[in-house]
Amino acid sequence: MIESLSNPAHIHLLLNHVPTVGFGLGLALFFVAFARRNDDLKRTSLVILFVVAVTAIATYLSGPAAEDRLREVPIVSSTAASPTVITTRWPHGLADGSSVDIQGHVGSTPSLDGQKLATVISPTEFSIPVDVTQGGTGGTLTHAATPYAPGIIPPMIRAHEDAALVAFAFMEITGFLAWLALWHWRRVTDLPGWMLPMVLLLSVVTFGLMARAATLGGEINHQEIRLVQEAAAGAGRVQQISLWVMGTSWVWPTCETLHFIGLSLLFTVVLIVDLRMLGMIKNVSYSAVYQLLPIGMLGFGLNLITGLMFFIGIPAQYTHNKMFYWKIVCVVLGGLNVVYFMLFDEAWAVGPGDDAPTTAKIAAASAIVIWASVLFCGHMLPFIGNAF
Amino acid sequence: MTDFLAYLQQSAFSTWVRESGSLYSFPGILLLHTYGMAIVVGIVAAIDLRILGFAPALPLGPIAKFLPLVWGAFLVNAITGTILLVADASTWLHNWDFGVKMLFIALAVLNQFAIQKRVLGDERLDKGPFSMHAKMLAGASLVCWIGAITAGRLLAYVGGNGLK
Repeated sequence: MIESLSNPAHIHLLLNHVPTVGFGLGLALFFVAFARRNDDLKRTSLVILFVVAVTAIATYLSGPAAEDRLREVPIVSSTAASPTVITTRWPHGLADGSSVDIQGHVGSTPSLDGQKLATVISPTEFSIPVDVTQGGTGGTLTHAATPYAPGIIPPMIRAHEDAALVAFAFMEITGFLAWLALWHWRRVTDLPGWMLPMVLLLSVVTFGLMARAATLGGEINHQEIRLVQEAAAGAGRVQQISLWVMGTSWVWPTCETLHFIGLSLLFTVVLIVDLRMLGMIKNVSYSAVYQLLPIGMLGFGLNLITGLMFFIGIPAQYTHNKMFYWKIVCVVLGGLNVVYFMLFDEAWAVGPGDDAPTTAKIAAASAIVIWASVLFCGHMLPFIGNAF
Repeated sequence: MTDFLAYLQQSAFSTWVRESGSLYSFPGILLLHTYGMAIVVGIVAAIDLRILGFAPALPLGPIAKFLPLVWGAFLVNAITGTILLVADASTWLHNWDFGVKMLFIALAVLNQFAIQKRVLGDERLDKGPFSMHAKMLAGASLVCWIGAITAGRLLAYVGGNGLK
């Protein structure tokens, strides 16, 4: 389980049902709440929509890692010989003299993992200049032009990628509005009249888009349900965005600058609200600092959009970067953390001069640690991780 | 002066900052600079936005208690910034954008003094609406800090790059 969760490709396959199923659940509950005019149910469905939107960030960002998995060629065995001959389960696509990266090969002496120079023998055999005394089995190889696994049609992946970005964008907008409705609910019992119907409408649209993205995603690997191959025609918009981000000189620096402004706004609201809970500026009520939360959310939204531009621009820089992995884990935790501050009456009841309850203090201290970690991981992407 | 800067740039410490590859050198110093930026700009921006009318229920008097944190973070950034400057002085001092960044920060600091004296130090604070003058100071503060962040980020892109 732990091993699965530390692999972004597995995370994508584990989490890819959360946006559709979770959103379906939130939506169904929302309809029931409207039909029964039940405010508690409405709030519950808003929370579900928000939490699903937060989780969807990890689902979306783990996508390219799952794609990379489809481009790993499984190794059958290596022979005890010099040079050793490696057999692959399907054609390896190597060119003579190209560099190949072997990972997870077991049983051989010496170990064959790492970068090696390949000499092609047949479409499924090649040798590397290593004197192997005992042959091994298993593992995978990748190289600069690794082919997809047999049966995978790359345009289907592009179609899924395009559909997923649109669905993701709508889901985040819905999640943002659901959060805003929850925030309003606390302050004033009367929400602006358009708000909940708007969330409902967006949820319906998002659910449809998400179902489409999920179907296209499922069809990448489940050939028995591959019915809409025509969807693949004209796919590749995400790749066009990627080329635009990387090929337009002002985009990256502009997004970086906005990312810095966004992080300042978010980090500070976290500091002010959470230090209040921990006992600083005690003469201010929680309901007063609560008014700052949308500024923090604005910073988060700014950073989600600009961060997405970096990710779409050059996903390879982040997909196999452990700092990015931990950053996203912390972002999701931070999203769950804010739910406490939105929902719990014990936090809301903290008036001027009151000491916050212990749970509020724990939530506040965790929020500071979580967001400081997000900043740390983001900063260390090029230094500890392998970006740039 | 140039000789002195060249001496500092060639010192063992500057070389360690630039070239050691240790996480405590360039990456760590820049990390502190980033945390400092978030605290300074963030809290100042929160106060500015409050003056401009956001979060009307939030009294500003108590928020002024965060000012020592702001100035502490500013000091951290002055120190880390100086270290990063000295480590690569020959590059930075020839980059016009570095001058732009310093100008924005100088204006922002002067502006912040005015806000602390005229607005936060006003006896009538939290007892009525903010004056047009206060709002203009708050707007100018936001412009200056956004300008400083923008010029700072663009250092890596314009006018000859130093350490990225």
